[in-house]
Amino acid sequence: MSDTTTPTRREKRRMRRFDNPWLNPKLIWGAGLFLGIIAMGILGRFVWDMDLVFTGAGMPRQGPVWVENIRGQVGTLAHPLGTDVSGKDILALIIVGAPNSLYVGVLASLIGMSLGIFLGFSAGFRGGRVDDVIRVGSDVMLTIPPLLILVVVQAAFGDISLTIMALLIAGFVWQSPTRLIRAQVLSMREAGYVQMARLSGASTIHIMFREMLPNLVPYLFGSFIANVTTSIVTAVGLEVLGLGPQRVPTLGRVIYDAINSGALIQNMWWWWGFPTILLAVMFVGLLLVNLGLDEVSNPRLRRL
Amino acid sequence: MSILDIRNIHIDFPTTKGVIHAVTDVSLSIEKGRRIGFIGESGSGKTTTALAAMRMLAAPGFVASGEILLYSLDKPDVLALDEEEMRQVRLSKISYIPQGAMNSLNPVMRVENQIWDGIVAHEGALTRAELQDRSDAVLEGVGLDPAIVGRLYPHELSGGMKQRVCIAIGVALNPDLIIADEPTSALDVITQRHVMQTLREVQGRIGAGLILIGHDMGLMAQSVDEIAVLRKGRLVEYGDVRQVLEAPKHAYTRELISSVPLVGGPSFLNAHETVPAASPEAEALLDLSGVAKRYGEVTALHPMSFRLDGAAPKIISIVGQSGSGKSTMGSLMLGFASPSAGVVTFKGQDINKMGAGAKLDFRKQVQAVFQDPYACFNPFYQVDHALRFPFENFGMAGDVQEAMEEACVSVGLDPSLVLGRYPHQLSGGQRQRLIVARALMLSPKLLIADEPVSMVDASLRATILANIHDLKEKHGISIIYITHDLATAYHVSDYVMVLYKGHVVEAGPPREVIGDPQHAYTRLLISSIPWPDMDRDWGSEDDARAALEDLGRIGGTPETVYRGDIPGFELRQG
Repeated sequence: MSDTTTPTRREKRRMRRFDNPWLNPKLIWGAGLFLGIIAMGILGRFVWDMDLVFTGAGMPRQGPVWVENIRGQVGTLAHPLGTDVSGKDILALIIVGAPNSLYVGVLASLIGMSLGIFLGFSAGFRGGRVDDVIRVGSDVMLTIPPLLILVVVQAAFGDISLTIMALLIAGFVWQSPTRLIRAQVLSMREAGYVQMARLSGASTIHIMFREMLPNLVPYLFGSFIANVTTSIVTAVGLEVLGLGPQRVPTLGRVIYDAINSGALIQNMWWWWGFPTILLAVMFVGLLLVNLGLDEVSNPRLRRL
Repeated sequence: MSILDIRNIHIDFPTTKGVIHAVTDVSLSIEKGRRIGFIGESGSGKTTTALAAMRMLAAPGFVASGEILLYSLDKPDVLALDEEEMRQVRLSKISYIPQGAMNSLNPVMRVENQIWDGIVAHEGALTRAELQDRSDAVLEGVGLDPAIVGRLYPHELSGGMKQRVCIAIGVALNPDLIIADEPTSALDVITQRHVMQTLREVQGRIGAGLILIGHDMGLMAQSVDEIAVLRKGRLVEYGDVRQVLEAPKHAYTRELISSVPLVGGPSFLNAHETVPAASPEAEALLDLSGVAKRYGEVTALHPMSFRLDGAAPKIISIVGQSGSGKSTMGSLMLGFASPSAGVVTFKGQDINKMGAGAKLDFRKQVQAVFQDPYACFNPFYQVDHALRFPFENFGMAGDVQEAMEEACVSVGLDPSLVLGRYPHQLSGGQRQRLIVARALMLSPKLLIADEPVSMVDASLRATILANIHDLKEKHGISIIYITHDLATAYHVSDYVMVLYKGHVVEAGPPREVIGDPQHAYTRLLISSIPWPDMDRDWGSEDDARAALEDLGRIGGTPETVYRGDIPGFELRQG
């Protein structure tokens, strides 16, 4: 009895967290990792020389600091993460490449979400034929593996820009938000507060955007983050196959070059290791943000 | 001989806002074969106390101190059992009959398999034939045909049948104690009587104790031997049912008893001078002519017509069981559904053929109060949104804040306590009164109140109905009151229509229709109401069964029994 009435400091801290759901450790860590990568992309440009991304910027095949390469040369601070087969500086590649990969993911996901919101609301509200077309369309699209189609399309396009790649990927990430929003709209349409709004003479636009959408925000956030992850994975997948933008450094492109120049055989782990670590950090960050948001929007998942 | 003793138990729920003492120092003893009613409003600790005996408290609740002793165990202390021993006790010694039978049965399993589940979990594997015998016996015991019902899935059963299946599962292992948690709150009065009598009969046959949890004093009076009144986690009164009902000692018990409106009893409404009749209007306020509604093959409402004139405000009650078509009528009148035949006109205009401007005006003049006060507020906004938005949308004159505060005061709410809060911070009663306040603020001509108090605690029902009645008396708003509760309809209304299977079977002023019913259905409805009066018996189980069979024979008769007219309202079939 007495131990429940006088909470320990640890318990008090957990209770505060319960009161303010945004103080969720998962959310904070996830956002921290994610923002760290963005900060690296922005601040890196000021601290490091970006001209080092070009071929021949340094001695080729240099190891990271204090690591010996196969020729017995020890890496120096001039290229702290080493250089690749053509002498490009790995650190500079990562600083430029990571934000590029994120950009593709976020843009594709934003477009996909917007499409999903529009189609989901149309299907849920209009019903009938419109609903049938949208539902069947999104279900069919869900069954198509995006990488397969994209490989064909990209190969036909040849060299493309980051934005075009994001647009192409967006064509494969609108289905799940569409389904999610449609289902929510269908159940919310009969909710008491929507009936009340109709009684208040509310327009359909008001009901959609002022009454329903705010309640969808947690779902939208979750879906958005999941889509960013999917988009980045798809983008990196294409780049690793050499089907991404040819002139712009991206994380996937760095890995492609590494594999292409025999990094695995030559034991040049830093060629592919650093971009992979960065991608892993990105995904863990996104996953934590997603889990955190889930707990914020669903108090039942919160543990006291 | 006592089967269960609860001694000085305290139940606490540690939360961020400190420890909530849900139950404080409750002691009770349940005798073999006796029925005890736990009564109190939501949050009074009645369910918590009963669930503690099964050790099924919702996290993070726990029994802080006290003893629970179940004498049929070798070691009677229930709180000292380990998880496996406790599992053995549940169902076989203490069984639980849940509130919502529809959510408690597994939708993908046949009824008899669900009964076998419980038996196998306690007695190990039995042969198929043995199991079949056992389930047949219990199903028969609750008045269901095992050969038919046993093979059905839950969705194929009616609400009353599902609840009886739950009773069958609960008694399959002949427990010492049955805990029934508001087993009939989702059922209409006729089915309620039948289910309660089944429960009583089965419990008497196996000689178990029964804890009946509820908030309806009438149901308690008809069903239990002893009553325990709980309030804010404390046992305020405990005694023989007759003593509690006829000579309540605690003020709260008296309040509970008097909150049940009685047909013919004293009114709970505030007396007022009626507003003088407005200038007579040529056009009817609301006119339904030959209105019917069909959903595919099912006819929810057979053609009927009525004309409500707005000259003097009136309350028209539409009474019926679930499925009688009364809510269909409500949504037809609100223009949420369009009739399959006939026309609904408001002030001479067909409400389904209005332009945008006329529609907005119609919405302003016809408002509604719905059944579920929990769903009526958008959880994203403060409650003010629900009041402010229509006020501004309809372009009403005056200061919103002032109007909101005024309306809150009129329905007996303190504006500083409710405005600016989020819906989850308010109780159901407060929310429903806010919805009434919202209607008042918009000063409509007509208010459709669809079961406005059925989801509110019994003790608050009278107040909310008085608020609604005031809308008519003080503010001149005509009201269509849709309900299944005849006693409240008797008090508030000027005219009553009884609906059965989409037909109006009896109509007239409440004193005639409810005070002295003529149609068999109305009579059955009234005799099924559980009165909080020991001398006004509910009748035996056979009576209930006979009554149900009677009802089957009546069917929906197209003839209406007209019991008199009131000025300003006309009703006819077709």
